[in-house]
Amino acid sequence: MGIEVSNVTVRFGGITALSEVSVSLSPGQIVAVIGANGSGKSTLFNSITGLVSVASGSIRIDDDEVIRIPPHRRIAGGLARTFQTPRFDPRITVEKAVLCGFYPVARSGFVRSLLHTPGSAREERTIRRECDGILALFKLDKLRSVPMGELPMGQVRLVEVARSVANKPKYLLLDEPAAGLTRVEQELLSAEIRNLVARGVGVLLVEHNFNLVQQLSEHVVVLDRGSILFTGAPAELAGNRAFVDAYLGTSGH
Amino acid sequence: MNSYSLFTWRHPALSLLMIVSVGTAASYGHPFLLDNSIMIGIFSLMALSVGISYGQAGILSLATATFAAIGAFATAILTVNYRLSPYLGLLAAILLPTVCAYLLARCILRLSPLPLSIATFVLGGLVEVLIKQGGDFTGGYIGLSGIPRLSIAPSAQAMHFLTWAVVLLVVVLCVSLMNSSTGRAINTARHDPLRAVADGVDVPHLLSNTFAFSGAIAGVAGWLYAHHITYIGPDSLTTQVSITVLLMAVVGGVKVILGPIFGAAILMVVVLYLPAAESQGMFFGSILVFMLLVAPNGLLGSRWRLPTLRGGLERPTSPMLLMPAKEEN
Repeated sequence: MGIEVSNVTVRFGGITALSEVSVSLSPGQIVAVIGANGSGKSTLFNSITGLVSVASGSIRIDDDEVIRIPPHRRIAGGLARTFQTPRFDPRITVEKAVLCGFYPVARSGFVRSLLHTPGSAREERTIRRECDGILALFKLDKLRSVPMGELPMGQVRLVEVARSVANKPKYLLLDEPAAGLTRVEQELLSAEIRNLVARGVGVLLVEHNFNLVQQLSEHVVVLDRGSILFTGAPAELAGNRAFVDAYLGTSGH
Repeated sequence: MNSYSLFTWRHPALSLLMIVSVGTAASYGHPFLLDNSIMIGIFSLMALSVGISYGQAGILSLATATFAAIGAFATAILTVNYRLSPYLGLLAAILLPTVCAYLLARCILRLSPLPLSIATFVLGGLVEVLIKQGGDFTGGYIGLSGIPRLSIAPSAQAMHFLTWAVVLLVVVLCVSLMNSSTGRAINTARHDPLRAVADGVDVPHLLSNTFAFSGAIAGVAGWLYAHHITYIGPDSLTTQVSITVLLMAVVGGVKVILGPIFGAAILMVVVLYLPAAESQGMFFGSILVFMLLVAPNGLLGSRWRLPTLRGGLERPTSPMLLMPAKEEN
């Protein structure tokens, strides 16, 4: 069980973005991935979700090799992600953005949606009810009819997380979800991540906020220029002088 | 889900029904007005086809009239050459454009949207050549005449009802589609295909289905056209018509379900009162430029500051806030 990334190498032309990286994530676990810009964190996410092709290595999700499986089927199989730079249509409302996340759980296809069959109408009502639940959970219900483009970045990120949990993923890949969040929003987010983890969701978290990483995760992977520099508990990491000097700098002490 | 800035009733089909009722009352028993109303209905269907493919899915197609021509020739060949029922013709007029559109999109959507537009343009030329070289089968340069009128709509009055019933039906279908998970995914794919992939959408498949649906709408328009005019030739539904229909949809507002119908009605009325057919292109060109300058989202897609029957239609707009909030560390 879990996501098993083993010896994955990703190349873009002559540049090796990831080299021989292995990461594993079990259900109900939070693994944090940290590293400087360009260290390959987002590429790791993209290779797990299938947005970039892998040169060598294997990626197994729940013991199934997924290298040849297209991204949309991986998502439908219980994977969800957010983007470092949130991707959203600024004109759609918060509610619609979250509703978009329900696509993998919607069973009525094109024709049944077109004909508005009783089944698809019922499904639409269920989805809207569940969406209300998620909006309430993330305290976004007051903003439901606000266009995404009018939200501050922190709340955009919360909406992105809400959108990604809509399909009830087994594994959630969060790319810097807390950047730009206020302290209150950060606490809300980490409480929600803990809730998800308690329900057995595995969370892979890219985060620059070291405090949040320490609070949340039991396991940290440090990437540096495409290779793994360190894996272990965050407590060990804070004591790891080489890492602190290289990554956190003097202000991290 | 979609914001209708005008005609904001619960269901766009209801507002359309009201307008059609008024139109029916006004045109009742006037052959000239009825004929125009039928043509507006047929062009509305083609414009709705553009609305779904371009407005909702972002696929700019220059083959709308080509799909209509495929539908029209399918029913014409079946009814004129083989003396088969026009309702069998309807089936062919829906299926053939659907299949053509699906295959075309499926082959080319892997590339960016522009190649698909060019491919639709090429398809238009190809179909025109095939029709002209088809000999007796397609009527060649002369075309096929003597297409029977429909038994359910023998008079112009009945044809008016049939055409607008079909338009209403298509509007209902479009609204259902766009208010579902599938519809939201289509909109996401238009705006950002990668985002749609991250939502779990098989983008090429979904967009091909959408394009096939828009092809089917155009096919039905072609079927109505053939049985209304009772003649179809190589110069009836050309790429020129596709461009006109695209313009209609853009003028009315492609992203609003009723927009294309509105645009079709306006441009058809304008054409009616134009001094000469040769000046059409000039008028259309200037209308397009004017629209892009004044209301790039189309007449129904823009938020007009007009006094409306219902208060509070105008939503307050605030400036875009895309700057990240200050990070707390």
